[in-house]
Amino acid sequence: MKRSTMYLRMITASLARRKSRMLVALLAVTVGSTILAGLVMVYYDMPRQMGEQFLAYGANMIFVPSSDSDGMTSEEIEQAALNIEGDVEGVISYCYESATINDAPVVVAGCDLNATLETSPYWQIEGALPQAKGEILVGLNQADFFSLHVGDKVTVSYIPSDVKAAIEGENLNGEVEGKVQKEFTVSGLLDTGSTEEDYFFISEEDMAALTGETLTYDVTELRVNADSDALAASVERIQQAVPGVTPQLVKRITESQTTVLSKLSALVLLVTIITLALTMICVATTMTAVVTERRREIGLRKALGASDKSIMLEFMGEGLMLGLIGGLLGSLLGFGFAYLVSTNVFNSTITFLPALVPVTVFVALAVTALACIMPVRNATKVDPALVLKGE
Amino acid sequence: MSLLELKHVYKIYGDLHALDDVNLKIEEGEWVAIMGPSGSGKSTVMNIIGCMDKPTKGEVLLDGKDISKESSQGLTEIRRDKIGLIFQQFHLINYLTALENVMVAQYYHSMPDEAEAMEALERVGLADRANHLPSQLSGGEQQRVCVARALINHPELILADEPTGNLDETNERIVLDLFRQLHAEGTTLIVVTHDAEVGASAERVITLEYGKVTSENGGTEFGKAARKDVI
Amino acid sequence: MFFRMIKGVLLRQKGKMFMIAFTIALGASLATAMLSVMFDVGDKVNQELKTYGANITVVAKEASVVDSLYEVDGASSIPTSYLKEADVGNVKKIFWAFNIVDFAPFIETHVNVGGKDAIMVGSWFNHHLSLDTGEELDAGVISMRSWWTIEDGRWLDEGQKGDADKVMLGTTLAQELGVSAGDTVKIACGKKSGEYEVVGIYNAGSDEDSEIFAPLDLVQDLSKTDGLITSIEVSAITTPDNELSRQAAKDPAKLTVAEYETWYCTAYVSSICYQLQEAIPDGVAKAVRQVAESEGAILDKTQLLMVLITILALIGSALGISNLITASVMERSQEIGLLKAIGAHDRAISALLLAEMIIVAILGGAVGFGVGYGFAQIIGYTVFSSSINLSPMVIPLVVTLVILVTLAGSIPAIRTVLRLDPAEVLHGR
Repeated sequence: MKRSTMYLRMITASLARRKSRMLVALLAVTVGSTILAGLVMVYYDMPRQMGEQFLAYGANMIFVPSSDSDGMTSEEIEQAALNIEGDVEGVISYCYESATINDAPVVVAGCDLNATLETSPYWQIEGALPQAKGEILVGLNQADFFSLHVGDKVTVSYIPSDVKAAIEGENLNGEVEGKVQKEFTVSGLLDTGSTEEDYFFISEEDMAALTGETLTYDVTELRVNADSDALAASVERIQQAVPGVTPQLVKRITESQTTVLSKLSALVLLVTIITLALTMICVATTMTAVVTERRREIGLRKALGASDKSIMLEFMGEGLMLGLIGGLLGSLLGFGFAYLVSTNVFNSTITFLPALVPVTVFVALAVTALACIMPVRNATKVDPALVLKGE
Repeated sequence: MSLLELKHVYKIYGDLHALDDVNLKIEEGEWVAIMGPSGSGKSTVMNIIGCMDKPTKGEVLLDGKDISKESSQGLTEIRRDKIGLIFQQFHLINYLTALENVMVAQYYHSMPDEAEAMEALERVGLADRANHLPSQLSGGEQQRVCVARALINHPELILADEPTGNLDETNERIVLDLFRQLHAEGTTLIVVTHDAEVGASAERVITLEYGKVTSENGGTEFGKAARKDVI
Repeated sequence: MFFRMIKGVLLRQKGKMFMIAFTIALGASLATAMLSVMFDVGDKVNQELKTYGANITVVAKEASVVDSLYEVDGASSIPTSYLKEADVGNVKKIFWAFNIVDFAPFIETHVNVGGKDAIMVGSWFNHHLSLDTGEELDAGVISMRSWWTIEDGRWLDEGQKGDADKVMLGTTLAQELGVSAGDTVKIACGKKSGEYEVVGIYNAGSDEDSEIFAPLDLVQDLSKTDGLITSIEVSAITTPDNELSRQAAKDPAKLTVAEYETWYCTAYVSSICYQLQEAIPDGVAKAVRQVAESEGAILDKTQLLMVLITILALIGSALGISNLITASVMERSQEIGLLKAIGAHDRAISALLLAEMIIVAILGGAVGFGVGYGFAQIIGYTVFSSSINLSPMVIPLVVTLVILVTLAGSIPAIRTVLRLDPAEVLHGR
């Protein structure tokens, strides 16, 4: 029989037959590895996941028409959006037109209202978003001003720009030739706490019907999941590629996100480091306790003529085997934890990081090896006679 | 040349002279019992002969080589190559089977050889218990595994420390019979004991008292004397 | 004798007992650090989220129609209504005053600058407030527009003499006018006009880039609105909204007395708004949904994340401790066998072992608590540059945890060991 076979036989016998003790040690290593793999995975994925949460603040990039153009066409917007690095989570383009209601001037915005769910998740609507033709969403301020409620009818009057130019200087109120009038039903009232409350919102089709022209847009809001560098790069690319569109970053959102996200990352990093350090020491003490218990056996092996080196090798072999099993188990359980965090906290899945498995196993091996070396070395230093005689 | 010779050996712990000018010669093939009351220095002699301890002063010649100057590494090698140890508390590794316990000694010595280890177990009458763990064996069976482990590497010297101390009469007799067989085959045996019957079985009895050799005589006479003491 | 034996173990088996105490200390410190951070992370992150700016604005009741509308036809006939500047201080006198971390009054007016129409905004920059409560605060645009970057020049400094009649320009406007820091611009408002030095050009990444920012007094003087303001922006630390707060936001009068109490005494954005309205006559306080709603979401997520990480750390340290205790109790099977052999009752042995472990646990736990609090402070200062408050919940939680884990670790091990036959144990099988 080969020496290596006997070596393996001894190690496996120790692991398999000293069940309770080995379970204790294995549990320790597994717990340590789980925490390592789990926390590192969460830390690694956090910027992306948290970044998604920050999109709740709404658009972080806007397009406005370049100074020499009147409005952006949908083709231009589409082309510009193609030049963005990162995931575009939502796009909405607004076309603002001046109109009058009861002869009072108002601003009406035409947009794909369902897209606001993506770009402005913070909108609070009493009632519902306009779904059918002829429905209108009214900003809270305007609703107060005109005493409008959900279900009320409101007539919007629009004077096409050519008509307006023709009657320059005259009173626009009252009967004007060429004035377009349309009746809308109030489907909901919009509460945002900011300027949107001063506008009326209608669908793009209604807007086109009102103005009788193909829509050109005054502003496009985009929600892009990317870090600040990628956003800045996207802005430059669009400026070069699409001359009709001027992209701008909403600094309030982008800058603040960078600040807050970096703090949160630092928090999780620090928590991870402290937890890991403490857990690893915990694993080491448990391993040490398990090995120290076997002083007598080490003495016997020495009495039988084992060199310090071969004893060290055997104990390391056991330790490494535990490290390997514990590390692999820990990687799996750690992924389980990261998955749990991901689904519970962020409502999204997490990708398994295969690279983390060897790292976890390596750390588990290193910790168990280090934890074995000390007590085994102490035990081998003592004369076997002393160990064998009694405790 | 004697197999083992102790020349003016002292072992001093602080003020206590555990061994005080001990001189001994043991020839190859001899069966020697070292006897004496507790605290007489038996265990110290045993540890020094077994290469598990070094004397404070004096020479210990094994095969003509002074082992008192060896490093602990060197002692480990001598212990491995030349000495088979049998303990009062058996000291088997509790998670290895009887067979594997014997093979551990082979493993440290040279090559583990399952057939040879099995033969050794057969010799001590434990072939059918080879795959039992120590906890499944009786005290006598454990000690026989210990004997098998001690002789597996054909050592020049088998050193037994109170081999029957934890055994009942039946098992004591079995172990002594084994020793007799080994002696007949020419193995050198040193047995440290305070059991008169075990001592009486030996060829020669060396008595220690207060760290000094007080008598050296043939086993039979001493055995009678010892028995008389007991009565 | 019982105590003598315990003393004997604790003093003579120092090494082993020290190791157990050490592991318990590690576990306890981990638990303390994580729990302290977990309980305080909400407040800390909330503070950080203030970089997004105000989450409440207060405007005058009749000011519901805004400038952008007048521009539509250039009809500025509708009078804007104002709040009184004297009422601004009331913001810090409401029930939740302590939660209000920043606020500033704003006055807006239309001006003509270098021949172009623009909006001029007067506000505080770094207005120093010494409150009755002893709180010192620098409030104003510098902290409430933390995302602004200064492209040229510097921030206006209210502490600096001479800055009182200087202005700041947005990049877009500065470019159109061809003005840079250090230049002077002519600003006219109605019949009043004056020359003002530009101390800095800011980039806000929004419409504010076409505006002029100046000290409050300057703008009030120009537009002849002394003692009046158009709005107050308030940054408040709030509790994320729930069903009750949404209901209350619609109409507080519909709540029952108990619900009203709960709502009023919780820092919901709606209850703070309500209280601000009480404090500022003729004011309407509105939650800036974009900030308030998102804050809630991020706060919830961060807290949940920390809770899960804390649970993992707690499980880890609990297993670590109970594991080691199990190992060390089993290690002493021989001693326990001996005690049984000389006639000790199982109960006596268990009591002895448990007492030892509890003593060690208390010592280790106490040290660990101190160390863990230290770790929490390290986290607090490194990440948030402020100390982590020790929640009173942490102490009982850690104590319970340590004792439970110690018992959980010892009891099964003791039972296993007691079940062993003393004779077998003593023979070292």
